[in-house]
Amino acid sequence: MAIVRGCNLPDDLFYHVDSNVWARLEADGTITVGMTSYACSLAGQLVAATPKKIGKDVEQKQTICTVESGKWVGPIKAPVSGKLIAINEPAIDKPTLVNEDPYGHGWLAKIQPNRWDAEKASLVTGADIAAVFEAKMNADGFGGC
Amino acid sequence: MKKTWRILDTGLRRAAENIALNRALLEARQAQEAPPTLRFLRFTPAALLGFHQSAEQELNLDYCRAQGVTIQRRITGGGAIYFDETQLGWELYLHRSDLACADMQAISQRICTAAARGMQALGVAAHYRPRNDIEVDGRKISGSGGAFDGDALLFQGTLLMQFDVEKMLRVLRIPAEKLSDKAIASARERMANLADLLGYTPDLHMVQEKLSEAFATEFGVAFAPGELTAQEQARFSTALAEIDSEDWVHLMRRPVTDKPTLQASIKFSAGLVQVSVIYDQARNRIQQLWFSGDYFISPRRTIADLEACLRDSDAQALRRNVEVFFAQRSVDMLGLRAADFCAVVEAALAQEVAS
Repeated sequence: MAIVRGCNLPDDLFYHVDSNVWARLEADGTITVGMTSYACSLAGQLVAATPKKIGKDVEQKQTICTVESGKWVGPIKAPVSGKLIAINEPAIDKPTLVNEDPYGHGWLAKIQPNRWDAEKASLVTGADIAAVFEAKMNADGFGGC
Repeated sequence: MKKTWRILDTGLRRAAENIALNRALLEARQAQEAPPTLRFLRFTPAALLGFHQSAEQELNLDYCRAQGVTIQRRITGGGAIYFDETQLGWELYLHRSDLACADMQAISQRICTAAARGMQALGVAAHYRPRNDIEVDGRKISGSGGAFDGDALLFQGTLLMQFDVEKMLRVLRIPAEKLSDKAIASARERMANLADLLGYTPDLHMVQEKLSEAFATEFGVAFAPGELTAQEQARFSTALAEIDSEDWVHLMRRPVTDKPTLQASIKFSAGLVQVSVIYDQARNRIQQLWFSGDYFISPRRTIADLEACLRDSDAQALRRNVEVFFAQRSVDMLGLRAADFCAVVEAALAQEVAS
């Protein structure tokens, strides 16, 4: 687990840093997606989440869900390309789950990736996480989780 | 040498065009096709839903149709509003790097505080009120909301030049009993507009000038008038094709029954406290509430501030929010207690549990 300015960033996950989302490669080859603890801290308590329809084909960095907090609306973007195959209904019904457990019960969507091998190079994982997020937080002027 | 940001005045437009421009300008800012921009805009009569809202739950659709009030969905968050020619919209399209801050609530506060300073320059005592309002002596004169895409963000607000409170109440889905003369007068006490405060309607260009001067000072920049770029025009056409449609307006559909208006009143020894609560039961949130009744409280604006504090808040956090609210200010209530306000709201919410 990397901890950067108080934000937990598990080092077994893959991160699309610009989009501030994580991706977990599951045993069946699908990808689970959610917001990072850093993204949650920036947003504050989520009050609404609306996913795209299951079955939609998405490109990397395309919107898969739209969330709202403190009157701000913003997209959650796909960390990799593929088909949207599941959404986490409990988190859509009660978006504060995302704040409470961003890497567990607060996951948002599952994608069947179609270019994982090519696109995973654009994601950050393992020992690189801390430095990359430190730089992002610095650029964002972020104080800490 | 100061940086130069662009000012756009897109004039009076119908809602679909204004919202399509929101998306086009935000996308263009994200793609670095356009400079940081302050935009002024006005609307032909429209009811504007927050992005996640449902028209059925928020609006009196029959009244809107009969009165020719267009219904549209914003790309920004927050609640439904009525917008017509008597209001001025102001918007900033920025990059996070323009702000050196990523905390969304801090960004809202900074921009609203600057906008309030612009209003002060017009001669009204406007101030930022958490979480997203600008108020004058406790009365709301401006609401706001935002959207972001990657590192680009749009923050938008209203400014009431004049305002027809009764029409707003009829456009929004307010229970009939709230439309009594007394209730309309009460709503009027909670809203402010420049014409009432100043005794005349200020020149639109003067208002725009004062707001732009305040933003220029806040961000240390100069503003220069500009036009939409060719790329923005192209993005606008694409966005308009999606947004100027029933599919977009009714993107979210939820039944009215999911958002009841609950009422309760309790007679305390220090007076009668009544409340009406619009309760979002799916999310267990207090969307909006209004206190009334017969009790003493000073300063009088405390009630409007409490209502603003509890707007769109977690119902489970009611007691904590009310306690924090009263702990932060000195209020004379002649025996009424903070807990009494909690009790009456809880009594209203309990009706929903019971049903």
